[in-house]
Amino acid sequence: MKKIVFILGVIFLTISSFTTTHKFYVSVTQIDYNEEQKSLQIISRIFVDDFEATLQDRYDSSIKLSSENPNDKIDGYIEKYLQQKISISVNGKPVVFEYIGKEYDNDLILCYLEVEGVQDLETIEVSNTVLMDAFNEQQNIVHVKKGTQRKSLMLENEISQGMLKFSE
Amino acid sequence: MKKILCILTVAFLVTDFGLYAQNQNDGQQRRQLGHTNENKFKQLYDEFSTPNMYRTGSGAPGSAYYQQQADYKMDIELDDKNKKITGSETITYTNNSPDVLEFLWVQLDQNRRSKDSKTPLISSDDVKLASSPEEFVGSFLREPFDGGFNITSVKDASGKPLKYTINTTMMRVEMPKNLASGGKFTFSIDWWYNINNHVDGRGRSGYEEFDDGNRAYVIAQFYPRMAVYNDVEGWQNHQFWGRGEFALPFGDFEVNITVPADHILDGTGVLVNRKEVFTSEMMSRYEKAKKSYDKPVIIVSQKEAEAKEKVFSETKKTWKLKAENVRDFGFATSRRFIWDMMAVKIGGKDIMAVSMYPKEGNPLWEDWSTKAVASTLKSYSRMTFDYPYHKAISVHAKNQGMEYPMICWNYGRPNPDGSYSDRVKFGMMSVIIHEVGHNFFPMIVNSDERQWTWMDEGLNTFVQYVAEQDFGEWYPKAIAPAKEYPSRRGPAAKIVPYMSGDQSFIAPIMTNSENIYQFGPNAYAKPATALNILRETVMGRDLFDYSFRTYSKRWMFKHPTPEDFFRTMEDASAVDLDWFWRGWFYTTDYTDIGIGDVKKFVVSKEANKQVKDYAEGRGAKLEDFGPLVFMVEEGTDEYNTMKSNGNILDNATTLKEYLMDNFSVEERKIMKSPKFFYEVTFVKPGGLVMPLIVEYVYKDGTFETVTYPAEIWRKNDLSVKRAIPSEKEIVRIIVDPNQETADIDTTNNSWPLAEQKGQFDKFKEKMKQ
Repeated sequence: MKKIVFILGVIFLTISSFTTTHKFYVSVTQIDYNEEQKSLQIISRIFVDDFEATLQDRYDSSIKLSSENPNDKIDGYIEKYLQQKISISVNGKPVVFEYIGKEYDNDLILCYLEVEGVQDLETIEVSNTVLMDAFNEQQNIVHVKKGTQRKSLMLENEISQGMLKFSE
Repeated sequence: MKKILCILTVAFLVTDFGLYAQNQNDGQQRRQLGHTNENKFKQLYDEFSTPNMYRTGSGAPGSAYYQQQADYKMDIELDDKNKKITGSETITYTNNSPDVLEFLWVQLDQNRRSKDSKTPLISSDDVKLASSPEEFVGSFLREPFDGGFNITSVKDASGKPLKYTINTTMMRVEMPKNLASGGKFTFSIDWWYNINNHVDGRGRSGYEEFDDGNRAYVIAQFYPRMAVYNDVEGWQNHQFWGRGEFALPFGDFEVNITVPADHILDGTGVLVNRKEVFTSEMMSRYEKAKKSYDKPVIIVSQKEAEAKEKVFSETKKTWKLKAENVRDFGFATSRRFIWDMMAVKIGGKDIMAVSMYPKEGNPLWEDWSTKAVASTLKSYSRMTFDYPYHKAISVHAKNQGMEYPMICWNYGRPNPDGSYSDRVKFGMMSVIIHEVGHNFFPMIVNSDERQWTWMDEGLNTFVQYVAEQDFGEWYPKAIAPAKEYPSRRGPAAKIVPYMSGDQSFIAPIMTNSENIYQFGPNAYAKPATALNILRETVMGRDLFDYSFRTYSKRWMFKHPTPEDFFRTMEDASAVDLDWFWRGWFYTTDYTDIGIGDVKKFVVSKEANKQVKDYAEGRGAKLEDFGPLVFMVEEGTDEYNTMKSNGNILDNATTLKEYLMDNFSVEERKIMKSPKFFYEVTFVKPGGLVMPLIVEYVYKDGTFETVTYPAEIWRKNDLSVKRAIPSEKEIVRIIVDPNQETADIDTTNNSWPLAEQKGQFDKFKEKMKQ
């Protein structure tokens, strides 16, 4: 707990040190456990310029992430990348997520992922190394919500995975 | 008389039921405990300090309000080769307070960068299992950079050394004798320090070094500065730990800055020796710029700046600046600067909007920086007071934004090939609007940043939102293809993720700057959003804008406290806002308001069982209560036998008789004839009190929105009921239909319970189509 406080503290310091910011490298992933649908509904918010640069470096320098560029191939690249960089275990067992799609919101890209058939959520382990291959300073915040309980992880290069426990 | 009696009895009939039932259930239970006043509408007497002669209960400066004055004369020399700055300053301090001062406190902010700075010691730290070599060297191998002040002398006006004591970032200067009220004391300080690299070391002040060996300096809090002494804090000598910014008295400045002769320099104040430092070409361009209201005129072009890159002049030039009534002084200098200016008319006066940037800022900077400055001055002047200084400068620094009087540094750098993303473009425009806006808060409305970051950042971020929207409207080409400016902070819905987050990482807005967990949302976004909600939803634009301007004008060139702001907003509007300040600024409560239950009623021919039982329980007959109109709830067993059909009057003979006996045919004609009666229970699981905004949708598709003032919650913080008579059947009720209140949970906001689709489900559905 203490560590999370510290890490969050540092993050927010970086985000808005004096007035607004230095360029910062942060993604925010929201994981909601939908009890009715027995699924983990995941929305990952990533800065579109950083994501574009990373996909260009890895796959194809012609990749353009923009709502004005409806290109089917892009979804393939995004899915391939996210499948490599995000992994989730529920109650100690690895689970598979499906890439539902993406949308753009100003300077962010929102990626929608879903894990189905989650009968119960007691513990969740998340590893998220998105963009850490491109940016040393990349930090990935993960918020998990089950009912009214909300817990958070701060993932960085050296601690890129973490576990959260949900008690009834 | 009889009529009144009847109404009273009926009223008691209803309330008594609850009490009666409760007493029976509780049986022999202990008496309830008493409590203090915990009402959310309780006035803020405990939180606010008592008004006095310095600060009035209305929120205005009082009849005995005073503030200290600190005037500076400084000779500064920048040694570009050795990255060193040396200064000799004379401060004349005027004690306008009624108090006798035994010593003076001078701020040495650069000591945060001294070798023995305590700032690194207060952050908790852990060993990183993996880190870059650069990070590792910085953390464990390299000697810390020594960027603290070297004070070489502190002397009085006659040249006699003064005793002084340095406590980290504060220096106490002892005077030969106490400084009486109304007295002046003149003393001088000589100093130098090593300038830090603000890009690597992340600073507000320092240099950026380019590959060609040139540097761009943005220099601030570079001289020993007087601390504030006032009626609220005494000496505000809280140490500078790095985050909580500055508290400074106003004064006049005469500053001579010597830099390499090929440098371009601008800073706080009027350039008094323009003819000495400008070429004749620059002079004639400057004269042209003073008359150019629609686009900037280049004073030093990119080509001219590039020609100097390899020369590194060995000679020096002194730029002389003079500023009146400013709280601080900053400047920027480099041989690589491009310089442009245009004029903007504010309240009949011409103000110069100015930008200085290395070529790395282009093409973005030559296109938009100066226009953003001009646009900001117009918007802020409309929201507060006419900008009183003669210029405002935006300087391009690689990756930071920071504000000083008349000058600020801003980020937003294109890629080396000149291309840039929307993130960079809007980041640059937003930060320029924000930092130029700081001229108003806190440079002129001079709040104490060391104590309250939100007072300048929150107010400024609020006006920034208004100014961004203006900018988008005035310069559609700048934001294309977006139709409106994509502001990050301001709209209510945008604060929901923060306010619904883990409470262990949230502090009230009224928390000292150093002790906040999430600095951005806490000190910038939440107060800005609160003010936006106050303006749009609680007070309305007319009342809010008048009050906000009143606050700005009352405290222009003065030192306000939070209470001065809170009180003025009420004083000028006649809106009691103590509940709003308490909830939004003193707690971490959030908004969650919803619909608990909706019952439908009809007028019935006779009393239902509950009413009958009540009368019987008292040994009375219904007739004893006089004529009564009865209602029955839809869906109950009694409903089917007793329900109305059509006109309510058909069912209620007593009502019909009463109307015919007491009102003329004409009067009866214009009376309402509701056919449907609803009892709606609104619930408030969230701690924040907010106005209850309800949209009633009728069967014919029309709707009506009713705003119940926040005071509806004053006697019951958890739930309230409303009886709604309606001529048309209501098919849907929605709370906060336009997301104006930052409601963190909207699943309970509608009746009948709409199948609530979250963002995820909505997106998934869209993808299937």
